[in-house]
Amino acid sequence: MAALTVLAPVTGTVVDVSEVDDPVFAAGLVGPGLAIEPDGVRGTEAVAPIAGKIVKLHPHAFVVQHDDGRAVLVHLGIDTVKLGGEGFTTHVSEGDVVQRGTVLVTWDPAAVRDGGKSAVCPVVALEASADVVDALAQVGTAVEHGEDLLTWA
Amino acid sequence: MSKAQQILDALGGDDNIIDLEPCITRLRVEVTDPAKVNDSALTAAGAIAVVRSGIAIQVIVGPEADTLASDIEDLR
Repeated sequence: MAALTVLAPVTGTVVDVSEVDDPVFAAGLVGPGLAIEPDGVRGTEAVAPIAGKIVKLHPHAFVVQHDDGRAVLVHLGIDTVKLGGEGFTTHVSEGDVVQRGTVLVTWDPAAVRDGGKSAVCPVVALEASADVVDALAQVGTAVEHGEDLLTWA
Repeated sequence: MSKAQQILDALGGDDNIIDLEPCITRLRVEVTDPAKVNDSALTAAGAIAVVRSGIAIQVIVGPEADTLASDIEDLR
């Protein structure tokens, strides 16, 4: 398969996924990836990391699946399912086909933090083996949404 | 036995479940008695991992969580 480039879904700072305060994402149990600590002001738009179909859409998380079956999960904050969608606006529906970079959800990471939750956004190559996914952005650096984040061979 | 039935049984059955909700890659379950939850039966049923915190049990099942949760609801 051709290498798939996964874009940063939000603007912020790249974080090692092992530092995410969630045992599932930190251990890569659902796949390898990176996380982004979103900018409180400029991290409010979450965009599609790859082109494909929206196969899962929750206010706080989504999965986009490429034509070839590979799928990328973006989770907006940790334990944000408990917010019940409050503060999240979805702009697409499950089943929609989107281009990479399309805005899928707008949210307020600063408000999530004010509510005592982590706003960090794991970006996961679902069910990929760790040796086929490489970082294109370095941990600790700033990324804009739509910039290259991962490559999935 | 279906995967949903195996997971329901491994969670201690319907009586043991206070709340069950899917979140993309995991089932978030609150149980009455965590001792009735059988981790090895959950992994035998296909769970990737089980994360426990008191009565809150997270069963990591991958992207099929939503489908599995509705299948489990149908059995309850």
